[in-house]
Amino acid sequence: MFGFLKGLGVTLRQLPKKKITLQYPDVRPEWPERFRGVHRFIPELCIVCNQCARICPTSCISLSGTRDPNKKMRIDTYDINFDICILCGLCTEVCPTESVLMSDTFELATYSRDNLYLDMHWLYENELQYEQRYPERVPQPAGEAKEEDA
Amino acid sequence: MSLIDEKDQVRTEEMLLNVGPQHPSTHGVFRLVVKISGETIIDAEPVIGYLHRGTEKLAEDLQYTQIIPYTDRLDYLAAMLNNYALCHTVEEALGLEIPERAEYLRVIVMELNRIASHLLFIGTYLLDLGAMSPFLYVFAERERIVQMFNEICGARLTYNYMRIGGLRWDAPPGWLDQVRAFVGHMREQLKMYDDLITGNEIFLNRVRGIGVYDTETALAHGMSGINLRCTGFEWDLRRKKPYSIYDRFDFEIPVGKNGDCFDRYYLHLLEMRESLKIVEQALDQIPESGPVLGKVPKLIRVPAGEYYSGIEGARGELGFYIVSDGKDKPYRMKIRKPSFVNLQLLPKLLRGQNMANLIAILGAVDIVLGEVDA
Amino acid sequence: MWHWEANPLNGPAVLGMIIGGVVILLMTLGVVTYSILWQRKLIGWIQWRIGPNRVGPLGLFQTIADVIKLLIKEDVIPEKSDRAMFLLAPIIAFVPSFTVLAVIPFSAHHVFTANAAIGALFYIALSAITIHGVMLGAWASNNKYSLIGGMRSAAMMVSYEIPLGLSIVGVVLMAGSINLNDIVEAQARSGWWNVVPQILGFIVFLIASTAELNRTPFDLAEAESELVAGYHTEYSGFRFAFFMLTEYVYLFAMAGLCATLYLGGWSGPFLPGWLWFAIKVFLYISFQFWLQATMPRMRIDQLMTFSWKVLLPLALVNLVLTAVIKAFV
Repeated sequence: MFGFLKGLGVTLRQLPKKKITLQYPDVRPEWPERFRGVHRFIPELCIVCNQCARICPTSCISLSGTRDPNKKMRIDTYDINFDICILCGLCTEVCPTESVLMSDTFELATYSRDNLYLDMHWLYENELQYEQRYPERVPQPAGEAKEEDA
Repeated sequence: MSLIDEKDQVRTEEMLLNVGPQHPSTHGVFRLVVKISGETIIDAEPVIGYLHRGTEKLAEDLQYTQIIPYTDRLDYLAAMLNNYALCHTVEEALGLEIPERAEYLRVIVMELNRIASHLLFIGTYLLDLGAMSPFLYVFAERERIVQMFNEICGARLTYNYMRIGGLRWDAPPGWLDQVRAFVGHMREQLKMYDDLITGNEIFLNRVRGIGVYDTETALAHGMSGINLRCTGFEWDLRRKKPYSIYDRFDFEIPVGKNGDCFDRYYLHLLEMRESLKIVEQALDQIPESGPVLGKVPKLIRVPAGEYYSGIEGARGELGFYIVSDGKDKPYRMKIRKPSFVNLQLLPKLLRGQNMANLIAILGAVDIVLGEVDA
Repeated sequence: MWHWEANPLNGPAVLGMIIGGVVILLMTLGVVTYSILWQRKLIGWIQWRIGPNRVGPLGLFQTIADVIKLLIKEDVIPEKSDRAMFLLAPIIAFVPSFTVLAVIPFSAHHVFTANAAIGALFYIALSAITIHGVMLGAWASNNKYSLIGGMRSAAMMVSYEIPLGLSIVGVVLMAGSINLNDIVEAQARSGWWNVVPQILGFIVFLIASTAELNRTPFDLAEAESELVAGYHTEYSGFRFAFFMLTEYVYLFAMAGLCATLYLGGWSGPFLPGWLWFAIKVFLYISFQFWLQATMPRMRIDQLMTFSWKVLLPLALVNLVLTAVIKAFV
């Protein structure tokens, strides 16, 4: 008959509990290492194998490269269209040299769609910032990506 | 127009009311055109498709691995289960063997995701019925689950965690202890929900005896999951057609009695308890270490043929039906979406009810529009 | 105590009335502002949140910012609405809510209280006018959700005014007067507050007043999850602000009435009268917010049943009991 009194008791007991609000712009969330935010890209490592562009479900990656005098492929352009990227992380999974990785950048709001075309320089800049934020997470162990490749 | 009708009564008219797609209680972009006389519903016609993205068609142009992120976006409250449903179908087609540790981790994340989804049901259902606090409380618990998922797979909602043949990542160190701590914590919280919600007379009066249907009707409409079990019919694919390693766990399948909204609500609570049990057992049995991805060909080609396998999703039987012509992409994929099927009975249930019951009944069906519209 | 009706209506008296009105208005606005903030804070704390804390220190200016935002918003009047009624409705709703404050005795020596002999009756009669504003606004909006909300609201008011009135009659019997000042004084004299001998009446009053205020669990008129925003769906800007204001002024007035009728108004040991009154009002308002954080919403048909089959008999029993005890003890 008086079950609602129990409910009133429950709500009253919550009053002194610790508040769980994260005061976002002042306090930033802490993202785990595996967090899939906006990509970061290390141009020196890229061998232009095109695997990331092929695995991408939304075909949002486009890249081009040329062969340098030492017969090694060098990346020229690397663009990710964040209009359609769904942050699935498949590109980082197939990358044999771990040159494309995910960062913890997650604030993507912008005034123009054009700003969502992220080119190589932006992505490299993002990598540098990431390294600054998490010096302990770089350099990445090189052996991990090989497993998935097999 | 005369105010008096032929029978010398005050003339009244029925009116057409558009509930949705921007209505606060339609859980997304669901639209319901109801014909009401006063507050009594005479007819109701659901209109769906506002969130249609053509996942099934898109899948025809994607490799099997590439489809996985798309399944995240079907029932976005239980993406792990969607991931699994697709991978399971492909694995069965290929006859793959899954590493032990991967199986256990899969069960743990799936059951956690089921809990998260059920929690959200309770929160939104109570919000529909006008109580605000439970919504915030369940979100706090769900946040813990989501954070754990964030640690294990790097996303909070669209996990993309399972792979054909196993998992993307192994659990990070300490993760399993977090889960164990959460299980104990969640048990306490469930007691609190009982005190706060289940005992409340106002709540009981609003959901008891509302939206009743029997087993036969439910089966005739192809319903599954809690919407079927609330009628007293025991049907859970985890038990009836064990997939993964569910035959190794000891858990019960709670069933309702009356097939009303209260049973549907209460079964969500009870199922969370059972899911916690499963998680606990899985934590005890999980091998200390081992691979999480089995031997899988680099390019997955499913042999020509038709494959279907269903799993017990958070909302009912979630199945992927794949027609393959031997290529690395499906020739045709059909998703059996529990929300969509469960929604069919809605117009029948609504006839003769009033506006307040509309919300109670619609909420209890537990639809996710991402899945209904796919 | 100074009596408005006993003095001739000359210049200083009129000036006094105007000053009194303005002072009460300002005080009411202050109370409303901070009860809205308190609502958001309290419910926030109950829900493990912090509540508003961005505008000003501790969020103290949050409501003011909200009001300013509402005031400078575009005043949208739907084309298909009944323009005259649409504009009039918020005023009809608001004016009585403020007028009823005239009879609430805020403290023992308070000069701005109309010492009306019909105090309680005045309150009930005036508060019933508000529903016309709500109904007119709902109907004039030409919106189906508004219409349903307005109709619900009207049905509810009619049903709950009766148990509310009857529960007040019990108190009136105890004091032998309808004058709210006399009721407070009678309680101060008798040594216990009416909440003790009139516990049954108090419970009925508490429930019926919650319904009168359209607050959870009886907030059917603006049931967000069912009717979008109920009767004020089409209102925006300062017209919406008026409806909001009406709601919270009534909350304050009802808290005052509750304190006066059942909790001894300004009477109490040690502390000054106005502080006692403020404490009691604060308790009532907080109770309402606490209720709001806990309860789901009732259903309209159950609401009617509850009023006519449970509350009304209870109020009648209370009335008869009070009368019998009063006559023979």
